[in-house]
Amino acid sequence: MAYVATRGGERAIEQSERFYRGDLGIITRERVDAMREGLPYLIDRLMGEASLYEPDLAALALAQAGGDLYEAVLLLRAYRTTQPRLAVAEPVTQPDLFTVRRISAAFKDIPGGQILGPTLDYSHRLLQVGVLNGQNYEPPAVEPAKEPAPATQPSLAAWQKAQGLIPDHPAQTVPPEDIPDVTREPLLFPTSRAHKLQSLARADTGGTLALGYSTMRGYGSVHPTVNELRLAEAPVRMRHPRGTIFSAGRVRISQTEVISKARELELGFAATFGWNEVKVIAAATLDLASNQPNPHPASNEEFVLYHTEPVEGSGFCIHFKLPHYVTFQSSLDALRRVKTDQQEAAIAKAKPETEMQPEEDEVLL
Amino acid sequence: MTDLKDSEPLIGSYSHGETLSIMAASRPARIKACAEALLDGLGDVDVLVNRTGLAMLPMVDTVRDTAFHLGEVLLAEAHIRVPERNVEGYGAVIGRDLEHAMAIAVIDAAIAAEHSGELVLEFLDSEKAHQEEGDRERLRKVEATRVQMETF
Repeated sequence: MAYVATRGGERAIEQSERFYRGDLGIITRERVDAMREGLPYLIDRLMGEASLYEPDLAALALAQAGGDLYEAVLLLRAYRTTQPRLAVAEPVTQPDLFTVRRISAAFKDIPGGQILGPTLDYSHRLLQVGVLNGQNYEPPAVEPAKEPAPATQPSLAAWQKAQGLIPDHPAQTVPPEDIPDVTREPLLFPTSRAHKLQSLARADTGGTLALGYSTMRGYGSVHPTVNELRLAEAPVRMRHPRGTIFSAGRVRISQTEVISKARELELGFAATFGWNEVKVIAAATLDLASNQPNPHPASNEEFVLYHTEPVEGSGFCIHFKLPHYVTFQSSLDALRRVKTDQQEAAIAKAKPETEMQPEEDEVLL
Repeated sequence: MTDLKDSEPLIGSYSHGETLSIMAASRPARIKACAEALLDGLGDVDVLVNRTGLAMLPMVDTVRDTAFHLGEVLLAEAHIRVPERNVEGYGAVIGRDLEHAMAIAVIDAAIAAEHSGELVLEFLDSEKAHQEEGDRERLRKVEATRVQMETF
């Protein structure tokens, strides 16, 4: 065991932190509010990956991290450890969701109909450069329908199960307190479905996309189509000491099923905190791919779940910039020893040849 | 504290669960003002709990009906006792607003003590109408985005 001491380090470390924070400037309540209100999809992504829903804290984490998403996820996960767990809320089911967007790319006539909700799916993406010249960009307002949409939408999967299009698996009744939880138990393989879906819910969006995209492109046997995509608000139902169940408020969630035909129609599923369509589509594809016999790493749930954990992945990556002098010195010593050994072996091998030389010379003479 | 069946009206036409849900979704300034007004005649309050903490939120997947954890939601909760009236009150709301949670607990205790029922009912009616109007306006926007898909 060896240690590295950095002489004069305390002052330098303090100055480097000041340098970092000084560049970000003064963090004010106004800045945090502006981030929360102006960057809702980034806040959503952050809360999903941190697995902690609190938009104000997520905005604060972003402000403190200067927008470094992994740093912000770390801050939120660290904050979470300071809070007691009060309860496990009542499980959310699809009919509970206050739905603002719900589409299917596989079936055009779905029970409840197709509702685009807030999206840029069918819009041009253009920078409003006039804003930089002082012209505010004020988008035109929605022209609301006369009557409201239903607050909840029927389940497409339930309809498909009733039609016999997809298998209807028997419901597993588990008390909320007994649902497996990766924050309290290690992730072991083969993993339970509850652990897999929870891990995907808190997975890194970029990592999930990279692996999900690889299966979509043909490295897996899954060729997904979105069976149903929802953006919604889910009630957080708590239990009063008298036993009454009530809603303590709603949180934004995304949920997707993807469908693929191998031998039969099969569905993959994913959901996460916040509105993050890319993540849930990619994650649902990985859920479906992990059930397929395929040697590609993106079809291997151990590979997928271990390599899409944002804090562990980013932490392991950046730890390589911390002092590794002793480890590296040890490698260097080994390398030098090997070189020396090789040189000595070469000399030793060359010696008998030299000794043989006179004999050859004699023959030549 | 006696157990209540949630379907039974507790105050006006509202069940216990409905009152708590309306209060959690109510405007913070309004509910705090209502609780302040109720505190005057309610009696001394013992605070048992007023803290933030986490609630794990499970979800049931639609493919295999497996319940799994989506993640944790930060909540503020308050639990109080009013010894003079032998009642307790409890409130929880998503976020970090401890005063909001305390205001719910105070009104919950006031309802249990049948204290200032008219004031509470007026508050609940007003907030429920506000919340329904907000949802209705949002859902009118949602309905405006309904599409009929055609294949050719």
